[in-house]
Amino acid sequence: MIDAQSHLTEEERHAHAEGSLPAERVPLIEAHLRECAECAGDVARIRTLMTRIHDSPAPTAAPLDELWPSIRTRIENSKVVPLSPYAIRIEGRRRARGVGAAIMMAAAVVIAAVVWRARATADRVASSASSSETTSLIAVADSAHAYEEQAQTLLNQLELRRSMLRPEAVVAIDHDLRVVDSAIAELKEAIAHDPNNPALRRLLASSYRQKVDVLKRVGNAG
Amino acid sequence: MNDVNAVDDVVRRAQHGDVDAFESLYRTHSAAIFALCRRMVGTDGEALDLVQDIFVRAWERLTTFRGQSSLATWLHRLGVNVVLEQMRSSKRDAARLLEGDDVTFGSRSPAGQIEARIDLDAALVQLPGGARTVFVLHDIEGYSHDEIAQMTGIAPGTARAQLWRARRALMRLLDL
Repeated sequence: MIDAQSHLTEEERHAHAEGSLPAERVPLIEAHLRECAECAGDVARIRTLMTRIHDSPAPTAAPLDELWPSIRTRIENSKVVPLSPYAIRIEGRRRARGVGAAIMMAAAVVIAAVVWRARATADRVASSASSSETTSLIAVADSAHAYEEQAQTLLNQLELRRSMLRPEAVVAIDHDLRVVDSAIAELKEAIAHDPNNPALRRLLASSYRQKVDVLKRVGNAG
Repeated sequence: MNDVNAVDDVVRRAQHGDVDAFESLYRTHSAAIFALCRRMVGTDGEALDLVQDIFVRAWERLTTFRGQSSLATWLHRLGVNVVLEQMRSSKRDAARLLEGDDVTFGSRSPAGQIEARIDLDAALVQLPGGARTVFVLHDIEGYSHDEIAQMTGIAPGTARAQLWRARRALMRLLDL
């Protein structure tokens, strides 16, 4: 028995208010509350708070729809293979680590392409694109095409400047481009087997974008 | 096709890389995820940033969703984890989350700086990170103390104490 002078503990008050007291404790607690106005009032206030919480509308934000384009961009960027920054390489810092990461990431793309191709071979007959997938495919294919054109333009500019670059920089650039081109070739082959696969198309667009990034870094490094 | 199958189909398409399907999932669930974030971090700006992070993470991990729970539940748990990671990345919030708060909170500011009746979300902002996190997870989102302890890394007893302190502070702020 809890007498009227001792009061309930903090734990008992909260547990009773939220209904989480063990069943055998409830009669004792309720007996005390009938005798103790202070504890009864406190438990009632905790319950009022909990009711108010449940009745409170969830916070809303107007621009949630406007977030989607940036989320989509981030999703698509997350497919990009982060190659070593050329500028860093020019300065001679962290070269080995950067190139190593580039090779590993590009290798991951190539492996992904091979896996997709194997899956495509098995599923080719069954695969069909919905209308939304078709729209998505067209958009991604356009994106890949745009990056491919941009990459070619930058590549032409690089050829003009090649003789002005340091030999070790040329070797590093050529190496990175070979890695990306290898990934692109694998992805094109995989797409040939599974032309309706949007993930493959996105990977291809990302690989072209990666190539553009490499070439832009060369240009920015002057 | 019934609603459940339609939802399953959207999830399946998103899992296979269909961004349009994922956009549909975003439009269905983003309001609930925003509400969770807004209450946990206290500001619209931070909450909107977190919504982005959560849906990017959801896209990356969607293939791990096996349908044992609803997608809403899965997303919700993922969201809590992303918010907690973000809080841990801030030394200040990490200390609050792990050690609790010794500062006095929930007391009324003098000279009517806080209006007599403010709404729950405005009151939540007045709570320090740790107490707010536990309160939101327990009283609003319905997680148990054991689950909260697992997610946050604090002891269940500490989670209980934080909850009680948060409730007391809110009762003062809300004039209950």
